[in-house]
Amino acid sequence: MILSVPNVVILMVVGLLGVGIYALLTVRNLIKVVVALQIMVKGAMLALVLAGRLQGQENLGQSMALTVIVADTIVAVVGLALAVQVRRVVGSLDLRALTTLRR
Amino acid sequence: MAMTWLMLTIGLPWLGALVIWLVGDRDEKFTHLLAVAFSVAAGGAALLLLPYGKERLLFAIPMGGVFGDFTFVVDGLGVFLAAIATVVGSLAVIFSVDYMHGEQQLARYYAFVLFFIGGMAGLVLTSNLLLMFFFWEITALCSYALISFHNDDPKAVAGGIKALIITQFGGIGLLAGALLLYAYTGSNDFQPLLENPAIVPAGVLAWMGFGCLIAAAAKSAQFPFQTWLPDAMEAPTPISALIHAATMVNAGVYLLARFYPAFAIVPGWREAVMICGILSALLAAMMAMVATDLKRVLAYSTVSQLGFMVYAVGAGGVFASQFHLLSHSVFKALLFLAAGAVIHSIGTRDMRQMGGLGQHMPLTRAVFIVGGLALAGIPIFNGFWSKELILEAGLHGNPLWLYGLMVLVAGLTAFYTVRMIAMVFYGEARTGLHVHDAGSAMKVALLPLAIGSLTTWLLAGPFGHLLAESLPAHHLEVHSTWAMVEEVIAAPATYLALGVVAIGLLAGWQRKRLIPLGQALGGVSKAAAESFGFEAINRGVVIATQKLAEALRVTQPGLLNWNVFAIVCALLILLASLAVGGR
Amino acid sequence: MLHLLTAVGILVCAIQAIRSRRLIVSALWLAGTSALVALELYLLGAPEIGVIELSVGAGLVTVLFVFAINLTGEEATDLKGLIKEPLAVVVTILMIVLLGILLVPGVDRAAPSLGEPALKAVLWGNRQMDVILQAVLVFCGVLGVLGLLGEKESTPTGQTHSEEKG
Repeated sequence: MILSVPNVVILMVVGLLGVGIYALLTVRNLIKVVVALQIMVKGAMLALVLAGRLQGQENLGQSMALTVIVADTIVAVVGLALAVQVRRVVGSLDLRALTTLRR
Repeated sequence: MAMTWLMLTIGLPWLGALVIWLVGDRDEKFTHLLAVAFSVAAGGAALLLLPYGKERLLFAIPMGGVFGDFTFVVDGLGVFLAAIATVVGSLAVIFSVDYMHGEQQLARYYAFVLFFIGGMAGLVLTSNLLLMFFFWEITALCSYALISFHNDDPKAVAGGIKALIITQFGGIGLLAGALLLYAYTGSNDFQPLLENPAIVPAGVLAWMGFGCLIAAAAKSAQFPFQTWLPDAMEAPTPISALIHAATMVNAGVYLLARFYPAFAIVPGWREAVMICGILSALLAAMMAMVATDLKRVLAYSTVSQLGFMVYAVGAGGVFASQFHLLSHSVFKALLFLAAGAVIHSIGTRDMRQMGGLGQHMPLTRAVFIVGGLALAGIPIFNGFWSKELILEAGLHGNPLWLYGLMVLVAGLTAFYTVRMIAMVFYGEARTGLHVHDAGSAMKVALLPLAIGSLTTWLLAGPFGHLLAESLPAHHLEVHSTWAMVEEVIAAPATYLALGVVAIGLLAGWQRKRLIPLGQALGGVSKAAAESFGFEAINRGVVIATQKLAEALRVTQPGLLNWNVFAIVCALLILLASLAVGGR
Repeated sequence: MLHLLTAVGILVCAIQAIRSRRLIVSALWLAGTSALVALELYLLGAPEIGVIELSVGAGLVTVLFVFAINLTGEEATDLKGLIKEPLAVVVTILMIVLLGILLVPGVDRAAPSLGEPALKAVLWGNRQMDVILQAVLVFCGVLGVLGLLGEKESTPTGQTHSEEKG
């Protein structure tokens, strides 16, 4: 496989997505979940910029990446606020303690 | 200009719903005021839209590739139903000012009522089948929310859930029709289909036709879906008047009338529609004769009259069915609102505990009698003219026994109407009932409807021309009002029907003499009280659905890991099929 | 090549962020990931976005994490996940492989050079809606956080707990 720039970047993107998914499948701490989401979003951002560059429309790719950064920062902010509140109300950050739907 | 009125007709009620929801329950009077203001404004916008109906304008809001354009068509069928929805809606809201005086959570009530009015107006004004499904579901949601408005009463909640489940089965039929249309014609707009049904292959057209029939039957509480409407009477009476008499249940008839040109050529479709209508009319009339709950009688009567309309569409009389829809909306809303006045003052819906109320409620009695005479089909009232048109439409090209059955149902209608009026307003008064006549807001709502019951038949000519000019695909033949009057008076069939109605009236008046006959037919009346077994079937369906939902609960434990695992598995299947199948 | 080194660095930092036991260490590895991603963005020809990613991702978000971890207290996160490890690994590797198969072949080509308007023209002109929505999003996020962390509001659970914990 040629290690050209696009290939390397794609492998990076896919790798980041994989790490994020693995984390979502195995972590039990709410803050680690936010970390995993952040990792996945970085992968998505790289993919957008790469796609822009491949199409010759770098600036479009950059604008979309900017949007993604803003959105994911807000997600992190609200997610962490939720985590703090959950810790106060429920008493622990464990995901298992949040499942009031189970009988 | 027409676009503005169109957007206002749909948008004003929705804006009102949002505003009322945000304002909340702080000040009751202000909430009432807002609701009345928005609904009357919407009614005004719809009435201003009426003159544009003749020109059959088409509007499209582009929404990108996937959804196509959101198209709206301003034609006769749409504007008249939108006008009914908003005008009767505003009258029901005015009535609610008195009826719901002092209730809790009024903001939720009015928000849902206004949301419903906007949804109904949108349903009839759109020509995009997917958008129609969207509005259809909005009306179903509001109907459920309003039936279960008193959500601490288990009967109300059960009634709401039952209505929701049964009408959703119908909604599946409509969605299937929409998807098939998109798959075969590449767009969701059904105007091309109406003009030329051949653009869809015949087998698919049949599936769409019967899917639409099921959707319409479920929504309009026709056979075999008729049991949800009587249970929906747990709703506050203005809701029963608005949703379950004048607007939502008409959505099914509207659907059938709108798609008539497309499906009339499907073999067996028209016959199926007619049989559905006749069975509903007959069975519901029989059930109305033995019911003892005032609103249940009216509910069965609604099912029966809708059966007339559905039968008319099947027989080819689309104009007759829409004309009867107009009359029925007016007089049935009147009857429900008057019944609401009675129930509000007495506190019970059981007719056996009423009697002799006419002395203390003269105005209510008078308007109730006006509505009842219109329902029974007495000359001069609007119900007479529209019912005669339906009966005559059925006479052309159909077996005679069908016509005979419908005339019989007309007679039964007269019977149970008289029974209802006599049980409530005449006879001996019971002691200990606190009776007061309708409040002033109720009167403001009732009087226009009563006047309407006397006069809407005069609009037959203009209404007919409106429909004929704006629905080219339907090939309607219409006459002016006077020509229609002459035709009805000259037809011998009219006098036959009048004779049967007179017999029905007499039988109702003298029903004590008929008690031995009633006992001889006791088996039938018991079966009627049990809705001929359909209640048991529908109860079974509801219970099965709820059990299935409970059983599937185990897949939703709320754990993030499991949910992500399920998502990733689905993603893997998708990726694998893409990788193997080539892209 | 620089890209390859950065790529390896990013993946190592990400995996360490997931695997470390202590939350603060996790947040620091995440900061490292952000910094390396910023470098990669610069190498890909998007320097403005790289700078923003550096300051937001490696700066703001890390500070937020540290705050949140302090507020919630450090916990021993030694618990096993609810999906068995091997199964998770297998599923993840399958996904990576399938995505790779789908994406890699189509990607390796030369970029056409179209004339394109400057970044600010694109951002404020063509993507104006995006910018407006971002502002709305930030506003909603702020409201959300205020709503979540404000203890004097009238949610009963919030009140009783704030009374209990003093």
